[in-house]
Amino acid sequence: MDFSLTEEQDMLRISARDFLAKECPKAKVREMYKDERGYDTQMWLSMAELGWMGLIFPEEYGGMAANFLDLVILMEEMGRNILPGPYFSTVALCALPLLEYGNSDQKTNFLRQIAKGEAVWTFALGEESGTYKASDVKLRALLEGTNYVLRGYKLFVTDAHVSDYILVVSRTGEGNSPEEGITLFIVDAKGPNVKMEAIPTIGGDRQFKISFDSVVVSKDNILGKIDNGWDIVNFIFQRAAVLKCAEISGACQSVLDITSSYAKERVQFDRPIGSFQAVQHKLANMLIDVEAVQYLLYQAACGISSGSPSPWQISAAKVKANEVYQRICIEAIAIHGAIGYTIDHDIGLYYRRVKAAEFVAGDTDLHREVISAALGL
Amino acid sequence: MDFRLSEKELALKEEIRKFAEAELPTDFVRNTLIDGEFRDFEFEITMSKKLAQRGWLVMSWPEKYGGRGASLFEQTVYEMEIAYWGIPGAWMGISGIQWVGPCLMMFGTEEQRDKYLPLIASGEKDGVWCTCYSEPNAGSDFASIQTRAVKDGNHYIINGQKVWTSAAHRARWCWLAARTASNVVKKHQGISIFIVDMKTPGVTVNPILNYYGRHHFNEVFFDNVRVPASNLVGEENKGWYYLMQSLALERRSIAPTIYGSLKWILEELASYAAQTEYEGQSLSRNSLVRAKLTDLVIDLEVLKIFAFQLAWQISQGQIPIYESSRNKIMGDDLMKRGAITGAEILGIYSQIDPDSKWAKLNGAVQGAYLGFPGQAIAAGTAEIEKSIIGQFRLGLPKSY
Repeated sequence: MDFSLTEEQDMLRISARDFLAKECPKAKVREMYKDERGYDTQMWLSMAELGWMGLIFPEEYGGMAANFLDLVILMEEMGRNILPGPYFSTVALCALPLLEYGNSDQKTNFLRQIAKGEAVWTFALGEESGTYKASDVKLRALLEGTNYVLRGYKLFVTDAHVSDYILVVSRTGEGNSPEEGITLFIVDAKGPNVKMEAIPTIGGDRQFKISFDSVVVSKDNILGKIDNGWDIVNFIFQRAAVLKCAEISGACQSVLDITSSYAKERVQFDRPIGSFQAVQHKLANMLIDVEAVQYLLYQAACGISSGSPSPWQISAAKVKANEVYQRICIEAIAIHGAIGYTIDHDIGLYYRRVKAAEFVAGDTDLHREVISAALGL
Repeated sequence: MDFRLSEKELALKEEIRKFAEAELPTDFVRNTLIDGEFRDFEFEITMSKKLAQRGWLVMSWPEKYGGRGASLFEQTVYEMEIAYWGIPGAWMGISGIQWVGPCLMMFGTEEQRDKYLPLIASGEKDGVWCTCYSEPNAGSDFASIQTRAVKDGNHYIINGQKVWTSAAHRARWCWLAARTASNVVKKHQGISIFIVDMKTPGVTVNPILNYYGRHHFNEVFFDNVRVPASNLVGEENKGWYYLMQSLALERRSIAPTIYGSLKWILEELASYAAQTEYEGQSLSRNSLVRAKLTDLVIDLEVLKIFAFQLAWQISQGQIPIYESSRNKIMGDDLMKRGAITGAEILGIYSQIDPDSKWAKLNGAVQGAYLGFPGQAIAAGTAEIEKSIIGQFRLGLPKSY
């Protein structure tokens, strides 16, 4: 066993932290709340120049050939600063499956674009039921002539309004199980008959309903094999769950830092409130929570990096991260007192994003079930 | 970063499994949490000797003291597996292997090392130690100890009372903290550590039974006990530093031990739930049971990583600051939740005496249920450990 990060990983963390501290202060996060696109396109290009978009792509696709753990380290820093924008949907939800399942044309065309910061992607799975089951995928794609035609709608699609492409989970057939007959299509987000309607959320992130009213998609734009798309969905879930944990881990570290600093400065009864055990012990609990998330995250990420992902370790990280993020924000607000409840304070920015993070790549119950099954329950 | 065990560590795990299957009776009652190790002392010492013969008992010690220079990762795996299989006799009265030996290696004289270390490593009764720290008026506020050691020529004369002393009734030797100076600025400055032969005149051991009537700890009286000056450990009045080292060593092994015992319990509970019918279906289909066991397994995984992270840190030559406290809080909390959830799953059977033929899971759940409140206090309460994290990791002002 080895718990050390490499020198390159330390460098990556430091440079990401410096860049985001300068380019993405909380004032920028607040400004982006009100921005029509919801992110800074200049910053997006700078991130591409730093190599962040294609961090783990091979060099032939304009990438840096880093490993999955490196991406986790980068995304912890993004979570720490609440970086607004479509990085997660583009890289975590779409670029990774493109890299794994895309054919050579798709990889050459799309990954290079992404690496240069020239394309934004998003992933459309959820529908009315709000679950993650294959049986709930109702959007149909029918073969008409040489093309597929998509009819139906998707909900909770992040950053769809700024996306160039959407990876759409569709039903193309009926098999022995609901998982059979699922296909992923690459759809032009700005093409005809793709309609979007914003779903306002408490997190300030951008989510949409997308209607596909007879959208024609070429066979060339199938990702992977026809009817075999559910494996790709599982692949996306595993990677995206870990990367969402990375953002949560960074966010939790930041919440703890902000709150323990406050507990040292805020004086009541002539003493810093951090000297009271009722406060200090809450902070100690928060620290243990933060480290629990971080180590489960790194363990899951190392599994992926070394080519042997463990589904239950991934799920353990996501369950823990979901719970800790909520708990730590609530405790942080309590320690701050009324000031933590105001719009001017940063803690609320984190708390408002708890639910947006929780339902990405499987909610707590779904991941608990993965572990229950592994236990033989 | 790499979270995988090495081939060597995996092989050790397998060897211990074979050892446990060969050496332990199948109906072995797993309730060591209630009475420590000292109920069937003869059996335990037999096992200690077998562990010593395997080269496991003090595996991480250097060869010249009876060990085999194993890594701290191997040591951690060993502790986890010993607890998982419930193998008794691995701790020799707890103190000797875990901190007396290592502290003598760090601070003892060559004469002390040559005399005491091989005894511990042998697994014989003469290698069993106890540790006399707590006193009636010095628990969490441990620097307030009043037991005194006064120099008298080539001896120290010791007077005072100790309490909650595990294994004192089995121990041949005592690792004692006593006050050697009272005219000091801070009360922790005047403390020294001594080695005391428990057969010395003036040492009296009285049992204290726990609430289940089991004899694990004791009170120990020192009445004009004469100890050779050569039994002082390290320097006079520097004892606080050695104590902190010993507590860090003790707290290190708590996480692996709890991990192992709870892992066994959770696995057994999962198969018990799968085989038990409840309201027309398997109890394991019950969503509350699933959620509780799953959450425990997640935190058990955290505890495992914490345990190895601490082992890694020490083997890198870094001095742990708050990590053993973190691990102890996590471990104690898990054992509490595991015991309570286990009892809920066993339902009405959770009230059965662990030694009874009626007990499920070899009495392990009841053992944990009766044992965790005491175990959570030993070696530092959650309140003390959280204050350590607050002060030394988060940089908060001292809270007491």
